[in-house]
Amino acid sequence: MDDYVVTVLSNIGMISFIALSAYLLLITGEISFGQQAYFGLSAYAAGAATSMFGLPIWAAVLIGACTAGLMAMAVGALTLRLSGLYFSISTLAFAEMMRLILLIVEVQVEVDGEMVGPDGANGFHDIRWMFERDISLTEFMLFIYGLLALVLIALLLVERSRLGSVFRMLGSDDLLTEMQGLNTVRYRILAAGMAGAIAGIGGALYAHFTTYVEPQFFNVMLGVHALAYGLIGGLGTAFGPLVGVAIDIGFLEAVRFIQGYRMIVFGGLVAVLLIFMPRGILDEERVHRLKALFSRGNHARAERH
Amino acid sequence: MIDFVQNTVDGIMFGSSYALLAIGFTIVFGVMRRINLAFGATIMLGAYAGTWLHVHYQVHVLVVVLTTVVCTVLVGIYVERLCFHAVRRDAALASMVSSFVVWMQLEEVAIHLLPERTYSFPSLIVAGSFELGPFLLRGEQITMLVLAAVMVGALHLLLHRTRYGLALRAISESPRAAAYMGIDAAWVMLCAFALVSLVGAVAGYAILATDEQITPFFGLWATFKGLIAMMLGGMGSLPGAILGGLLLGVVEAHAQWYLGNEYKDLSAYVLLFAMLVLRPGGLLGQRILGREELAFRRV
Repeated sequence: MDDYVVTVLSNIGMISFIALSAYLLLITGEISFGQQAYFGLSAYAAGAATSMFGLPIWAAVLIGACTAGLMAMAVGALTLRLSGLYFSISTLAFAEMMRLILLIVEVQVEVDGEMVGPDGANGFHDIRWMFERDISLTEFMLFIYGLLALVLIALLLVERSRLGSVFRMLGSDDLLTEMQGLNTVRYRILAAGMAGAIAGIGGALYAHFTTYVEPQFFNVMLGVHALAYGLIGGLGTAFGPLVGVAIDIGFLEAVRFIQGYRMIVFGGLVAVLLIFMPRGILDEERVHRLKALFSRGNHARAERH
Repeated sequence: MIDFVQNTVDGIMFGSSYALLAIGFTIVFGVMRRINLAFGATIMLGAYAGTWLHVHYQVHVLVVVLTTVVCTVLVGIYVERLCFHAVRRDAALASMVSSFVVWMQLEEVAIHLLPERTYSFPSLIVAGSFELGPFLLRGEQITMLVLAAVMVGALHLLLHRTRYGLALRAISESPRAAAYMGIDAAWVMLCAFALVSLVGAVAGYAILATDEQITPFFGLWATFKGLIAMMLGGMGSLPGAILGGLLLGVVEAHAQWYLGNEYKDLSAYVLLFAMLVLRPGGLLGQRILGREELAFRRV
């Protein structure tokens, strides 16, 4: 594979994390415009871990995910009272706050005679873990997809479990959830933390893949795209947001004549899609029907008994 | 002390433009209980159409004003049809996301129209600055303040003295009861969109004329400033929008003066976040009703 294809595939993989993160909150009924804050925070934290403190990559990803997750839980706790539009705007406010703070942060240390670290508006250069270890782009891509598979499996297991049902119940009616004797506060903070950590993994990988991060990348556009992927792909299954990412980056990147008109096409596509399928292509109903289709044989056998 | 007063005065001047933008959000929210994130981009595309004529055909300033207003209203109607009218009534958030993607669309159209980074924007009147004791007042900013006061007064009359205003308020009070009274909600909403686009276009023109330039970042700027100002004052409240706009202007002016340029925008978001955490309804907004809250949750 040539480098271009590897880069595009890697981007699809890394953006999938933030799409899954926004998706997790969407199924609990909250729209977040601010998942890019956790993606960015983790990119900085993980980048600092390897380049400034010489930690291994797995530790960096862990640190990034934990930082992002904890921050998301703290923000989740602060915004517990809010829902709907109010919650969405608060996530937007927080994300922009985070981005503007990262523009000011300057913490540099000397490593091998060179200054390394976040440098305010100039961004965070020289996260050279890949060069120092002589890791090829393809190897790193496999690493990305390995982690993505782990996260996806974890999410699919969560969806099958009781926790997943609680999340979906929260999404359809939080009063009902409370009446079941469930602690909605705990579940909302848990969902926020999990979503933050998933975005964090993506951010940590991104920092090491590009070797350079700047706050400008984590602007609202990233967050809105993350959100749109779930809404395009569908909210019925964790594969939904991945379908959304594949459609946007895979398809629109591939079709050359759309270049320069990409947002016009993408914007129109999503707007029309939201009219006809407010919960995306793979919504709950279609997922249910697909599942029934695949397990028809089993059902028939079960009915005979 | 002189600095403090001067900053406050500057803040109020800037704040009046934020207040005008906030009015656009608050009326749409009051009637539809939805947020139109494409508002800033709508104004920007309208102003770009005006600037396009100005750049390519050097038309008279009045034509630029007229084109800006007419195009903004047309784009506003397009947004209403695509993101609000066509989206299911119970899907308030789908509308918001839809308006966000349409914003991106409008922005790209604007960039195709005028691909350079900045263009000069023609000003209708040339007003100098003058001194009042130790304080400096800029003519354009006073124009803005007066414009804001006039438009708020006109809107108040429209809402409280006309039949259309009554219909609009009835819908915002209770859509179902309004429907029983024979009010055509779809038509009132379309008119409300045209109305706020008109207000937005005038506000946008005044702001751009003060800056004397237009950039593709204007859409983002206008949307966020208007949205923050509305949230600070309280969603759906007209006096709240004005108060929120002025508060935002004053806080930004002080943050910029005492902390530095990079803290200006930051202070706005910190203020918004703190307000949402501590007092989600805004300064003058009603408390969020549980019933409404649930209605908002559907995607």
